[in-house]
Parts: sequence; C-alpha cells; structure tokens
Amino acid sequence: MKGKFSSKVAVLAVAAVVLVAMFAVPALAKDTLTVANIYDARSLDPIIQNEVAASNAICHINETLIELTDEGNPVPLLAETFEQLDSTTYKFVLRKGVKFHNGDPFTAADVLYTIERAKSPLGSAIKQYPEIIESAEAPDDHTVVIKIKYPFTPFWGTIAHTSLAIVNKRAVEEKGDMYPLEPVGTGPFFVKEWVKNDRLTLERFEDYWGKKPEYTTLVIRSIPESVNRTIELETGAIDVAFRIPVSDVTRVKEHNDLDVIGGFEHSVTYMGFNCEKEPWSNPKVREAIALALDINGARHAVFRGTGLTPVSIVPPTIKYTDKELPAPKRDLEKAKQLLKEAGVQLPLKAQIWSNSYKPRVDLAQIFQAQLKEVGIEVEAKVLEWGAYLDGLKLGEHDMFILGWVISSVGPDGIFSGIVHSKGGSNYSRFFNEEIDALIDQGKTMPDGPEREALYKKLQQLVGDARPMLYLYNEENFFGVNKNVQNFRPSPRGYHNVTGVTFKE
Amino acid sequence: MLKYIVKRIFSLIPVLLGVAFIVFTLLYLTPGDPARIVLGEQATEEALAEFREKEGLNDPFLVQFGNYVWKAVTKGDIGRSYMTRRSVANEIMSAFPSTLKLALSCVIAAVLLGIPIGILSAIRQNTLFDNITRFLAIVGLSMPVFWQGVLLILLFSVKLRWFPASGFDTWATLVLPTLTLACNPLAVITRMTRSSMLEVVRQDYIRTARAKGQTEQIVIWRHALGNALIPIVTVIGLQFGSLLAGAVLTESIFSIPGVGRLMVDAIKMRDYPVVQGGVLFIAVAFSFVNLMVDLLYAWIDPRIRAQYR
Repeated sequence: MKGKFSSKVAVLAVAAVVLVAMFAVPALAKDTLTVANIYDARSLDPIIQNEVAASNAICHINETLIELTDEGNPVPLLAETFEQLDSTTYKFVLRKGVKFHNGDPFTAADVLYTIERAKSPLGSAIKQYPEIIESAEAPDDHTVVIKIKYPFTPFWGTIAHTSLAIVNKRAVEEKGDMYPLEPVGTGPFFVKEWVKNDRLTLERFEDYWGKKPEYTTLVIRSIPESVNRTIELETGAIDVAFRIPVSDVTRVKEHNDLDVIGGFEHSVTYMGFNCEKEPWSNPKVREAIALALDINGARHAVFRGTGLTPVSIVPPTIKYTDKELPAPKRDLEKAKQLLKEAGVQLPLKAQIWSNSYKPRVDLAQIFQAQLKEVGIEVEAKVLEWGAYLDGLKLGEHDMFILGWVISSVGPDGIFSGIVHSKGGSNYSRFFNEEIDALIDQGKTMPDGPEREALYKKLQQLVGDARPMLYLYNEENFFGVNKNVQNFRPSPRGYHNVTGVTFKE
Repeated sequence: MLKYIVKRIFSLIPVLLGVAFIVFTLLYLTPGDPARIVLGEQATEEALAEFREKEGLNDPFLVQFGNYVWKAVTKGDIGRSYMTRRSVANEIMSAFPSTLKLALSCVIAAVLLGIPIGILSAIRQNTLFDNITRFLAIVGLSMPVFWQGVLLILLFSVKLRWFPASGFDTWATLVLPTLTLACNPLAVITRMTRSSMLEVVRQDYIRTARAKGQTEQIVIWRHALGNALIPIVTVIGLQFGSLLAGAVLTESIFSIPGVGRLMVDAIKMRDYPVVQGGVLFIAVAFSFVNLMVDLLYAWIDPRIRAQYR
C-alpha cells in the first residue's frame, strides 16, 4: 500500500515537471519590440482622455498634421507644408497618397471631421485644445485653412497634440462603441489586438506613407508593479521598461545585457502656499519658509541624487526657461528674523498636504523636520487623489505639494494654469495684477526675443512673489536591452518607438 | 426544483436594489469631484460644468439614484464609463474572463489538493502528517499575497526562469498567480474538510459500515465524505464567490487585467458608473454561486432534495 502511494507521488512529480517544461517561456522572435509602461491607455480614441499612457499608444496609430520637436519647433507630419497667414489664420497643405489602415485615402474632409468631433461634447476631456479653433475650411481636397478665435502663439502645440490626431469618419461611425478598441489611423502601426490592462499588440502598416519601422510587431504592455518591470527586463521578456524606479537603476546598470537611459520630462513639482490664508498671505512668511528649507538636500535624499532642483517655474526642457535665476539657499537666522518681522506667533502650526506619491510624502516629512528648526510645527498629511483635489478647491490648505506636466510645449501653459488668478489649478490662490497681464500678453505675442524677455521677466516676478517653491524636476529612467538601438525618451512623457532597431 | 430556482432568482431583486443603494450612497458621500478627476487638471471651468450637467451630477441624490435604477430596469443600461465612454457592461465583460480563468484555476487546484489532504489529515489525526498539514494550513492562511507573489516571482521567474513574471496570455502565465492565490482557499478547504470529516467518522453509521465489512476506501470516500461534504461545499462556494470579485493585489502583482484592477482603477478615478456596475455584477456573481451551492446541496443530500419537492 505504502509503495503504491509513493509511486503515485513519483508519477505526479514527473507529470508536474513535464507540464512546467511545456509551459516554459517561449523565446521571442527578433521582429517584435516589447515595451512596458506603468499604465495602459484608458481609450485609444484620441479625444477621450488627456493622459500620457493613451498618447503613448495613439502616437503609433494616428498622426497629427504637424509635430513638435523636443525643443518645441513645428515640423511636417500629415501636412506637407504649413504657414501662418495672419495672426489668426493658419494654412496646411496635406500630404498626398496617404492611406488609412482601412484603405481609405486621407483628405481634407478627415481633418475637418477630426476637428468637429474633438469640439463635440464627446471630447470634453481634451476640450482645452480644440476650443481655440473658430472654424476650419477645406478650399480643396488637400488644403485646410484653420481660423482661431484670437491670436494664440502656442497654436502649433495645439495642432500637434495627440487629441487632434486625424481619425477616419467611416471607421468611427462603423465601429461605434468598439472604435476606442479598434482605432483606425494613418500611422506606421495598426491595432491587432488589445487586451486591456495587459497588452496592446500593434502590427506594421505595410501601406504606410513614411519610413516603415524595421520590425513588424510592437507590443506595449502595462505592468504597474515597478519590480516586475525590472524583472521582465532582466529575464528578456521585454526590451524597454519605462520608468525604472531610482532604487533599481544600479541593479539594471550592472546587468550585462541592459542599459539605463535617463531623461527629463516637461514637468515641475512644487510646494504651493495658500496665499489667501493667514499667515501665508504675507510674502515675508513665504520667504522665511524658503530660507528655512534645504530643498536641494531633501531632493538628493529622496531621489538618490538624480533629477534637478529647479530655479524657475518653467522646466529646464522648455523654451525660454531662465537657468540663471538664483538657486535657493538655506539661512535659518534670516528665516527666524523674517518670521519675527512678520509678527508670527511661534510655534506656528501648519499642514503640508500631498497625495500618496512616495517622493512627495518623503519630501513633506523632511520639510517637517527642517521647519521645526525655525519653530514651525508641520503635520504632513497624505490624501487620496480625489479628496486632495477637493480639499485644494475648497482652500482649506496651508501648504501643498503638486506637480505640473506641460502637454503643449511652451512656457505659457504653466503660468496660465497655476499662477494666473483665473487659472484652473491656481491652488495657491495667488493674485497679482501685473503678473496676470503679462501672462495674457505672452499668449498672443509672436515668438521672438521680445516674447523671450517677457517670459524671463515673468519667471523672475513669480520667483520673487513666491506663491510656490519649486521642489524638483524628476529624472525618469528607462531600462533598455543592449540589442535595442535608437530608443530615445521624449520629454513629452510619451515615447514614439517607430524608429527603434535591433542590433544584429 | 424549478420553482425553487425561480423563487431564488426573484429574491435577488431586493438584494440588488439594496446593494445599488448602498454603493450609490457611499460614492455620493465620497469626496472627489468626478468631473475634475476625469477631465484632468488642465480642463476649463466650462468643460467641467458641461460634464457635470451631461452626466446628471447636478441632480439631487434621489433623482440620480432613481434615474439609474429606471434605466437599468427599463433598458438594461447600467451606464457608460466616464473614463472610456464605453458601456459599463462592455468594460466589465472585457475584464471578467481573466478573473474567471484565475478563479476557476484557483478553486480547482484548491479542491483537488485540499479535500484529499483534509481527509488524510482527519483519518490520521494527531500524526506527524496531520500536524504538518495543520501547520502549513496556518502558514497558507497567514501569508500575505503580495509578499508570497513576489517570492514566487523571484524563484520561478528570475532564478529558474520557468514562468513569466507578469501578463495573462498563455497558460504559463496562469501558474504563478494560481500558486499565489490558491494558498488561502486551499488552507481553508483543507481545514474544513479535516474538521468536518473528524465529526463524521465518529458517527454510528460509519461504525456500522465498517462492521458490515466495507472496505476502508468505500467507508471513507462514500460514507464519510458524502456526509461531510455540505460544509465543505459551502466553503468552496464562498471562496469561489470572493475570487470572482477579483483579487486586487494578485492582479496588480502579476499585471492581470481582471475585475479587481478595473474596480480599483474606477474607484481611484471616481468613475461612478463602473464602480456601481462592478459592484452589482459582483453581487450577482456571488448570488449565482450561492444558488449553485444550494443546488449542489440538494444533489449531495437526499434529505434536502426531499424538501424541494
């Protein structure tokens, strides 16, 4: 009886080993590029979501009329040429012989349909981009003239935004509810299969008008656990891993087959003051806090020395950023003196709010210790994202840590978003007439030295008024297999990998 | 029997209404403006107002709830996701197969291992085997899945390279999540089988079966297990039901596109229609499993079957 039992166990064990061998990871063919992002796109319809994960997929499937270089200069894409006719009129001459994935030719009618659709209620998430467009006309099949409501210098950025990537009317109407899963564009890849929150498989479009990618299949996976992205990279299951955590960088660097590429995004994280609330309404108190903090030291500790401590509200990757502005310096004596001059009763109790993003929580805790040295007792309060935004809207906060990502390359968006008194995210509740006027003026001014001077002045004024302190420009790390060539992360936060090649 | 099933299905209606009302109220009371979260930081005030108006977020609470129930009942429409603009039913149905696959493989593994181990443990009560089993069952119950999942990944993906660490497309990708997630139900089923069997093997009819000269195999598997099955089936049903609700941690660790991740994402983004639809769906799935369990009772136990007539 006993012998029988152990022989059964042996058979089971052998069967288990055979099963394991059968299901072991198959080797991937060389014609497939697999990249791993943190999140999956919520929708592949360009107008449904304003998020980098969606743009990261869409930029391979649908194309815009023009695109911006990392420096913010417009270059042709579906429009062969483009020009500004007067302060509010733009003309685009479309590329001929371009086909959609469903075989339809690309014409001016598609551009008009795309704009009309983006302006419809369906596009409420991306409304701020097409809103500026007054009208669009097509004098012929390959020309589009767009009129905007008022002179708006960042308009090239608007037209290059993925929300205005050209869609095909017939495909949108035929597919209905399924369109966001099976989008049709003119891009170098078409959608083969999308298993949401797992993987998006794209195939090379053989009728693509431009330079076709050298590989045939692009797989974009979403792996939320950062540890897993690193592991999958190490095991060779993926070729490029987005956003390797700082703690894994050394490990990946030391791996024989892997490389790490760093890059900055057009973003800044700041600590804002509630400028409508005592005592933060007093500029002296805000200056005292700036002097009491060692922002650079805190950033070094939290990000292990990576990234930058900003001197300006405009991220260093953006046009007209002023890198000459003075760096923050710690001076506890002066901080105490300023608090005294401001008549602040010490110890002062205050809160620093943040969402649960780890580096922000860590920074808030470091600041807690640093501010204690000048007699300010800070409570670091972590809020869930929805509750956080709600609280900021109500203006109950003292100080808060928040970030800003610039989606249309240019310095104006960040000012009108978080500094202008009418800015939708002006949670500092800051108001300065001169600064408001300059922000309004900057939007309509043509690019050139005058505009540059205006934005430099703005950066200085905002820096001196201190509605917020700039904490860090985060450096992102990408783990890349050494046989992958030509992968270059973009400061936009989404990365077109069409040009990637494999080493032989 | 059919009458019983129909009655059970009808009794679902007040349950679902209650669930819908509770979820609706909780979401209503949760801080966070869906318009702002959905449309993003850079959305204009007009866009936000337009969104709230279109989605009926400005209506009073009871009107919102009434509209929701009315649409669900008359049109079978449980809304559209704020985030993806697709129908909630579609969203759930695209996440459900992964969850079902994982839940089934876990339950099958847990039952195939748990019942035999539980029986052996019971008939060899207080032997070394029994003690080891009980110890392992406690370990299985107490081990946090996120820790266990990462350990399994380190061993099987990084060191041995047998299974992929994430994804959900081939059968190989199912192995590690199943190992992680099946531990808990396995431990519960083992313990329940053991205690239920211990109770049964002391009954007179077992002694009678042995006295009339039945082989030990038939005594244990037919007479004892047959009578011990009711609580075991209940536990299996409960385990399966909660697995159907999605395993958030396991799904995140192994990047499985299941119901758990869908729900957590929807809650974070205040995607009310998906949260409501998801909870209702889970309630239906759970009730369905319960119904199946009750029907199984009748099949297992002739006394219960007699009551349905």
